[in-house]
Amino acid sequence: MLLSLSDDQTQILDFIDSLTRPYASVPMHDVSFALTSDALDAELVEGGFLDVMAMEELGPVTAALVVERLARLPFAVEAAASALVRPLLDPELPRPLCLIEEGQLRKPVRFLKPGATVVVVGENGVRSFTATEEHVCEAGDEVLYAYPLAYLTGVPDETRTHDIAAEKLRTQWRAVLAAEAAGLLAAALQSATTYVSERKQFGRPIATFQALRHRLAEIQVATNGVYWLALRAAGTGDAGDAALAALHAQEAAKRAGYDFHQFLGAMGMTLEHPLHLWTYRLKLLTAELGGRGAQAVAAADAIWG
Amino acid sequence: MNFEWTEEQAAFRGKLVDFLEANLPEDWEEFSKHGPASPALTEFARGFCRKLAENGMLFPHWPKEIGGEGLGPWEQQILAEVMWEYGEPRGGQYMNVNWIGPTMLKYGTEAQKARYLPQIASGEMLWCQGFSEPNSGSDLASLRTRAELEGDHYRVNGQKIWTSYAGLADTCFLLTRTSDDRKKGITILLVPMDTPGITVRQIPSLIGEGDIHEVFFDDVMVPVTQRFGEEGQAWEIIGYSLTNERLGIPRYHLAREALDRAVGILKESGDFARETVKAEAARCAALCEAARTAIYAIVQKRVDGGTIGPESSSARFATVQAERAVCEFVVEYVPEALAGQSAFLQMHHQRGIVAGIASGAAEIQLNIIASDVLQLPREPR
Repeated sequence: MLLSLSDDQTQILDFIDSLTRPYASVPMHDVSFALTSDALDAELVEGGFLDVMAMEELGPVTAALVVERLARLPFAVEAAASALVRPLLDPELPRPLCLIEEGQLRKPVRFLKPGATVVVVGENGVRSFTATEEHVCEAGDEVLYAYPLAYLTGVPDETRTHDIAAEKLRTQWRAVLAAEAAGLLAAALQSATTYVSERKQFGRPIATFQALRHRLAEIQVATNGVYWLALRAAGTGDAGDAALAALHAQEAAKRAGYDFHQFLGAMGMTLEHPLHLWTYRLKLLTAELGGRGAQAVAAADAIWG
Repeated sequence: MNFEWTEEQAAFRGKLVDFLEANLPEDWEEFSKHGPASPALTEFARGFCRKLAENGMLFPHWPKEIGGEGLGPWEQQILAEVMWEYGEPRGGQYMNVNWIGPTMLKYGTEAQKARYLPQIASGEMLWCQGFSEPNSGSDLASLRTRAELEGDHYRVNGQKIWTSYAGLADTCFLLTRTSDDRKKGITILLVPMDTPGITVRQIPSLIGEGDIHEVFFDDVMVPVTQRFGEEGQAWEIIGYSLTNERLGIPRYHLAREALDRAVGILKESGDFARETVKAEAARCAALCEAARTAIYAIVQKRVDGGTIGPESSSARFATVQAERAVCEFVVEYVPEALAGQSAFLQMHHQRGIVAGIASGAAEIQLNIIASDVLQLPREPR
């Protein structure tokens, strides 16, 4: 058992922090619904931060740490699938990587655009293809999630089959879902904490009212739990660990998402405050892989057979 | 990072499990229903802890100079997990191992160490914690049990309540008021329970026989040499010891064991085929494992020589959530367990329901997280 960061891991997180400093905050009143940056994406690729999993001294836990850290940014970066799933398939697959479940074409797909790799996880196998214009249907302006999204028009007849069990891929998907959720929860918690500490009503910061304090404290407990379960899932590669991590992440996202906006009052209903950048990503993550119920049953099957 | 036990750690766990399997009586599970503070288990524990001590398993994490093996915090955690998994055959002596010993080492005088450490090490000494009072529970710093210095003795008058183990304890780790300066006016006295003027009354409880008591102090004379630390140093010392106490009982581990056993019963009955039941069980497991990893993160900090801060309250709250979830799961899906059909699950339930109350109410943990982890501005008092 060794739960402290290695020197390499600390160094990588420090690198990420300095590289992403220009992207770490967004000016108030200047927030679109889904904030992305091609420049940031290019810098992360160039720095090799999405390829750390394959490096022997770094491995999947480091990749999960990278995903968690990047998820805290106001900018949406496709890091999760690239950093933890792509190495299992083919490290050369073009990014972004979009993970979908077979038969779930009605659902919006995060980061989907022409040129993206779509990974289709079925009951019995995993296949992929590179999306072209004809596969991608823009989601339009009505999207309420803080990710770039599109719909898939269909899966082509010609796909590449990958030599990996579907269950193994789902396990990794669950682990990285939890890692991303941990970062989103941490950033939203920080944002809400700052707001309630500054906002005054009845002559005092609203953070001094216990009705808020205890709920924020419970969110801290949940966030910490998601963080550690995600790292453990990445580290062990165990199906039960991954399902528990994803379950805990989706449970926490559901509970915390409501509270965060509640504590910001009407300010949390605006696009002027950046809170939604994290919470409206968390919302969509609760829909991944069949939602909480599916994670729970998967966990039970993995643990108790 | 590595989330697996090392070979040595796995072997250490194996050695402990083997020892318990070989040395606990046949009817141990039924017997352990008596509760850790019952006369029966206290008596059993005196013999059993002696045996553990003889085999180097009572406090292997203590330094060698006081009889330990000098093993690290991970081994301490493994030891605690195995003991709790088996229903805590050390009874109330777990306290000695978890925090009284370490606190004695850090704050005791040479004379106190010489007097108490060998007694603790023999596996025969039982302590009780004289903390809560009728009007001082969560607001512990308001406690009023007085200790007035008269020559070379303190005269103690007052009352404690909810005191575990008081009925059979040898010595009380007693918080007293020596001045009116709230936290700075509290002083610890180590009081032999057979000192004249002490009256103990047992309170019947949901959590097992002999567990909680009222303790009355009427003109109890305690030598100054029995003062632990300086006058007014109690708050600092109990801060240190409670951090150990909050981590020391691996409730997440017993809760997980109880959950696994409940699932075993449900599989046998066929009820575990229902997805709603499976999903609830998984939610409980997620809470147990979230608590486990939160605690492990702190154990790691200890290994690295770091100071344990308010994150122990966060881990503690996670543990309370896990205990609550498992207790409720068992009641909902295995109700017969609390009606005589499972000694183990009944034992777990009786210990689990106090998780949010003992060693600091869950709401106090949330206050600490809000103020000291999240750094929210403090509430007006």
